[in-house]
Amino acid sequence: MAAIFSSPTCVEVIEAIQDHLPALYFAFSRGRTELLAEELGREWDFLTSGEKRTVRRMIQEAEENNPGLFGPRRQNLRRLLLQGIGYHHAGLSPLLKDLVERLYESRLVYVLFCTETFAVGVNFPAASTVFDACRKWDGQEFRPLLNREFFQMAGRAGRRGYDEVGRVFVRIDERFPEQTGFYREDEVEPVRGRLTISPNTVLSLLHWKTDAEIRRLLEKNLSVYQSNKESRQLRREVQKLEEKAAELARCFCPDRGRDCCELYRVKLRKELNQLKKSKHRNRSDIRQRRQEVQLLLQKARKKCRYKICLEASRKIRRLEERVHLLHKRLKQLDKHSRDYVREFENVWSLLEKLGYVQGRELLPRGKFALYVHVQEILVTELVFSGIILESPPVEAAAILAGVDYQPGRDEQVIPPPFSLERVEELRRFLLGSGVPEHFCVWSPLPAALAAAWYQGATFDQLLGMTNLQEGDIFSILRREIDLLRQIERAAGEDRALALLARELRRRLDRDEVAVVGV
Amino acid sequence: MVQKKETGVRGKRRPRRRRSKIVLPAGPLKLDRFQEEAIAALLEGYTVLVAAPTGTGKTLIAEKLLEHILAAGKGAVYTSPIKALSNQKFRDFGQLFGPERVGLITGDLSINERAPLLVMTTEIFRNWCFANPEELEHTSHVIFDEMHYLDDPERGTAWEESIIFAPPHMKILGLSATVPNIQEISSWMAEVRGEVVKVIEERCRAVPLEISWIAPGGDVLDEEEAREEIAERQEIRRWRRHRWNEMTAAGWEELDY
Repeated sequence: MAAIFSSPTCVEVIEAIQDHLPALYFAFSRGRTELLAEELGREWDFLTSGEKRTVRRMIQEAEENNPGLFGPRRQNLRRLLLQGIGYHHAGLSPLLKDLVERLYESRLVYVLFCTETFAVGVNFPAASTVFDACRKWDGQEFRPLLNREFFQMAGRAGRRGYDEVGRVFVRIDERFPEQTGFYREDEVEPVRGRLTISPNTVLSLLHWKTDAEIRRLLEKNLSVYQSNKESRQLRREVQKLEEKAAELARCFCPDRGRDCCELYRVKLRKELNQLKKSKHRNRSDIRQRRQEVQLLLQKARKKCRYKICLEASRKIRRLEERVHLLHKRLKQLDKHSRDYVREFENVWSLLEKLGYVQGRELLPRGKFALYVHVQEILVTELVFSGIILESPPVEAAAILAGVDYQPGRDEQVIPPPFSLERVEELRRFLLGSGVPEHFCVWSPLPAALAAAWYQGATFDQLLGMTNLQEGDIFSILRREIDLLRQIERAAGEDRALALLARELRRRLDRDEVAVVGV
Repeated sequence: MVQKKETGVRGKRRPRRRRSKIVLPAGPLKLDRFQEEAIAALLEGYTVLVAAPTGTGKTLIAEKLLEHILAAGKGAVYTSPIKALSNQKFRDFGQLFGPERVGLITGDLSINERAPLLVMTTEIFRNWCFANPEELEHTSHVIFDEMHYLDDPERGTAWEESIIFAPPHMKILGLSATVPNIQEISSWMAEVRGEVVKVIEERCRAVPLEISWIAPGGDVLDEEEAREEIAERQEIRRWRRHRWNEMTAAGWEELDY
């Protein structure tokens, strides 16, 4: 907790930049945006009484349309907004985010503490942007921000028609001065190809695309293009060098390499010198060779302008050395480039093994998975194993909420009142059959939330079951609704399954979880 | 603006309110050179990539193009990586072109999906390219907003599959943040789609950025001063650690009887 008072505190920062408001103050955790907003709210109030009236009115309107908008958890935000201070992160409900955004756009928020997501997508420009830190947790590790990430956020500074410059402020934290970032816009990272071969990609290709089209994807995608680009440049260079060598070789005459050719005789002289110096010079075979060479050299030399040939052959040798080096580099590149053809074939044979395809022919499982775009193998198996249709609908809703869910640190939800052992068992079986971990991601964590929501619980009751935030619960249920639409489409002739998917969706897509305001 | 002296709530501090400068009318009155170039290339029927910093008015290019497409009775698809952005575009386009002409399709929502102008997530467009390209027969263009998402480790693949498999009659307008290898991406697109791709780059920000650092205590520093400040602080910390080690070592010796 003491960490938030590390100098410069946000109060010190805002004091230093108070002539450049509104400011977007980027922090890299949800909790920190709230703590900083609280800290600033203890000392500052930005609004005139007229502005306060406007904010109060906008908040009241929003609350009339959505009672319990701020709930018990967000009363502090309500208070802060009336002082011209806000926070904004993925944990807030969409309605609350929307309110904060509208207040910001009406120029009634002077300092908004926000996470990176506020800088992606909709453009909310500010007079200045502040970086609380230059490191973020990217799901695996704490790492410095990339240039691209920094400028995505920093670039929100500078409102066209209002500000002459957009001001960006980076905190030097007294505890970690060495972590301060220095960024340059001309060092933004290049875009690289990120094609991945998912089971759905393989099924889609087999079902809808020709061999030529499949080859195009595997052999002409961006990462192959990028690694080929270097090898193309190398090959071009090799070709140029070889042409040069051929050009030089044009001066050689048909007698080249015969006894009368000076090029040959130079070689022989070299050999003779070596033989004379050799420590085995008295061995019988060496002596014999020396005599041979001397005899050859006694023959007459062809009368020609041999110097041209000597020069050319020396140059050709140099060129050949260069070509050899380039070939070595080419071999290296070939070894390190991603082999998409093999990846495709690996997933294809896995799908054959699991009974999704037979050659290019899609079997029932394959035809189902064709319409599923998230954890397609796991979802298909949940359906084809009977788990989804045989479980009571409430349990089906609970199971599907966990598809593709990766719990964060210390997330807690009360356990559901039923066992999810069948799903765990299915996953163990799939992993045992060679399905890679990332093709069957599932977590029991959201189960109780989806079950309760399916049974008609209020959103507040859900919040009482977990330490997850409104925004998290909202996106778990929205993602399930998305998946249920996919299952309904995939069900095809299976009326029972299509009906179940539609019914689950109808029950989940309600009240706070229904999308409004589009 | 008249400055009024006000006292804050319970004696909290209030900011200095500067007189606001004369405010220019919002929104550009005339097109910038790069916008005109991009629009001209699009109307000539080229696939176009625009790389420009945020806030320089890439959206305007998309809007002008959509105007022409809709006037010609054709259809268009607009994709974005963020739901919030899709929703906003759906509203904006609805106001611009009339709500009956705009639809929205995301994984968990679809509104007016027979409209000539469809806003969708890139993933949905990718699925259409595979499963029902015939739906795109009368769609002349697809616009990829935030096309630098190509580089996203998780989601980039949807952009790439879309670019490779968007029906050949469709032209692409890619809107990207500034990236150093936009030329490379355009030549890849030209190769994989077998068409000419025009690149329009705008490196200048509409409003230039000025980066400063804020030191403990609240002084605003430029880069050189910031680097000095950091070096000094590290020095002090090293010295402290050194002293601490000496002290504790001494302490242990005293205790070590």
